[in-house]
Amino acid sequence: MDLVIGGAYQGKLDYAKRALAVTDGEVCDCAAEEADFSRRCLYHFEQYVYRCVCRGETPQLPTREDAVVIADDIFCGVVPIDETVRAWREQCGRTLTQVASRSRTVTRLFCGLDKRIKG
Amino acid sequence: MKMFFSGGCKNGKSSLAEDCARVLAGEGPLYYLATMIPHDEEDRERIRRHVASRAGKGFATIECGVHITDAVRGVDAKGSFLLDSVTALLTNEMFRDGEFDPHAAERVAEELCELADSVGSIVFVSDFIFADTGMYDEFTEIYRAGLARCDAALARCCDTVVEINLATPILYKGVMPL
Repeated sequence: MDLVIGGAYQGKLDYAKRALAVTDGEVCDCAAEEADFSRRCLYHFEQYVYRCVCRGETPQLPTREDAVVIADDIFCGVVPIDETVRAWREQCGRTLTQVASRSRTVTRLFCGLDKRIKG
Repeated sequence: MKMFFSGGCKNGKSSLAEDCARVLAGEGPLYYLATMIPHDEEDRERIRRHVASRAGKGFATIECGVHITDAVRGVDAKGSFLLDSVTALLTNEMFRDGEFDPHAAERVAEELCELADSVGSIVFVSDFIFADTGMYDEFTEIYRAGLARCDAALARCCDTVVEINLATPILYKGVMPL
């Protein structure tokens, strides 16, 4: 598994296509549809986590060995006032830490540039 | 050398950028491209703080809230420039005269790269507003995507790209002149 992390609009999907050979057909956009763990690339994984939090479920981790998880870094900023958003932020941190620990590589995108922070 | 800095609020971007711009200037001219157009007392106070912190550092200030490529007309373009900030410039261009221009970022990104190409040295300062749980309205999202577009364009055309985290530079590209 590989994890691509970074702020919104930083070029994470472009990077996954470029460096990890992710194709359009492999991408499940969790902002637009339910997470499909049979697909290789889970894009906007943080939105899948958000739906899990709203439903009171614990997010699953991808099982495919070649999975590519792409997530927005939403952990910074002030503690949100809204209870659900607060729980979402925390669950994202926990879940993505687990994803990172199981990942071969973790790459952070900044203004379109990548930095390998693991592997 | 062309440099791009971004990072969190009050993390020391401006002061590190000032130091770099001064080093890059050497004995040559040093210019500060002031982009903020003040709208209220809070803005004026912020500008006063920035002016005070630059005092005695040798910057000649050029006010340029819009049309950034015009800013270097009539000055020594071979000098060293500091543009603080991309964020304010895009705000001015996108919400000019109370009108909303959703295509401002394309224009600003192009003009910023044109500016970078036309000067001796320059340090750009932007703000990293992309890592929070904010669920914003459409205008704000267009603005955020637009700023990311300007940042990425500058990251491509600059020699050095640095994230400033608590006054500590994290290099993504190139080297620091300090």
